[in-house]
Amino acid sequence: MSRQRSMESILSSEFVSIGELVRLTDSRYSTLKFYTEEGMLPFEQAEENLTRRYNREETVTRILLIKKMKADGLSIPQIKEALNMDT
Amino acid sequence: MTDLKLAQSFSMMALNGQSSIHMTTVKKVALRSMAAAVILEVYLDSGFTEAEDKLTLHKDIRDASHPTLYREAVIQSLIHKKDGAQGDLRWWLKRASNLSNKKLKKFEHAMSDSLKELSLLEEIPGLLGCDLYYDSAGVEMKDYRSNIDAYTRVSENIRAEILEDGFVTDEIICMLWLLRESGCMHDFFSRSELEKVNARMNELYQSALLAKALFPIQIHHGIELGIKQFLHLKTRFVKTSIGSTINFFFPMLERSKAVFIETEAWFSNPNQRLNDVITRLESYGHEVKVIEKGSFSTIKIDNLVYDAMPHYVMMKVPIQGVRLMPKRPL
Repeated sequence: MSRQRSMESILSSEFVSIGELVRLTDSRYSTLKFYTEEGMLPFEQAEENLTRRYNREETVTRILLIKKMKADGLSIPQIKEALNMDT
Repeated sequence: MTDLKLAQSFSMMALNGQSSIHMTTVKKVALRSMAAAVILEVYLDSGFTEAEDKLTLHKDIRDASHPTLYREAVIQSLIHKKDGAQGDLRWWLKRASNLSNKKLKKFEHAMSDSLKELSLLEEIPGLLGCDLYYDSAGVEMKDYRSNIDAYTRVSENIRAEILEDGFVTDEIICMLWLLRESGCMHDFFSRSELEKVNARMNELYQSALLAKALFPIQIHHGIELGIKQFLHLKTRFVKTSIGSTINFFFPMLERSKAVFIETEAWFSNPNQRLNDVITRLESYGHEVKVIEKGSFSTIKIDNLVYDAMPHYVMMKVPIQGVRLMPKRPL
């Protein structure tokens, strides 16, 4: 049986799944998926396993930063620019 | 952030928006599924011993020394029956979902108390109480409202695990089955997403032992779950199935309500109309968030999304107002 990880175990691990990011940041799945597809959230993907893995600390910080910029009224292209990305 | 047990997470979703005073058909279906969730929770926590396809409860769980009252409310009801507490998973789930109304009520109180203690559930005046007819008649209605953040966290986690490629945990396999059996799938997934959910459930059925055992079990009662919708969806999903797979049909149960709220002024503009609606809803303790403004606005009331459209009802004089229509993911 494969059980869901407890919050304590998620908070102590280096990599997390998108579902765990949803739990950590109270964000919507579709929002995080959109950010990922737009290249705003870097991830790793092992060949044999399709699950995307995100660096927990780095990604949570980035999501919180994106949320703040959105609250400040920035558009997605502006946020991407602020994150030093090509639009 | 607390780690919730399976039955608690599911109950938060199942009780949201349900009447806390009356035993409606929708609530009865939710409670039956919640009782089944308790069995699955014990099963996942290795609370059963398995021998020759029969599951027997461990002694410590059977002896009612467990601190969670909601578990006790279900488990004690089952092991008190004379024919012995032993059977396969199907047997346990069927038994749990067939508790009497009196026992379901007792279980509802135990579960709602446990969630209220964690500030995850509260009772608020019912949305239908804001309706012109109910409001003017002074009818008291009360609904459960789940904590909005926790509700979003649980529902979005399910969506993430099942819609994302890769690994699916046992909790999510159980949640999918519970959502299907309680007729809630359509509240969380759009039509196109449901086709993906169906495909993923087929994959899980082939690859995960728990899914193989659980997915073919049905505890829902056809009449209660709107058989018409069921048949309609059946035709859609047949398209997506292949060879050896089985179809998982998603029956649907309407849980939100269509409400009419009269507006103060005749021919008021869309903003005034919307403000009148928000004022009425907030005076009843609802949390309202405007998602889209316009002549047809979209608003989120507590945890459910509604379209607010101009409407009138004919009495001795026509009464102008706004009709709130439940909106599902498209």
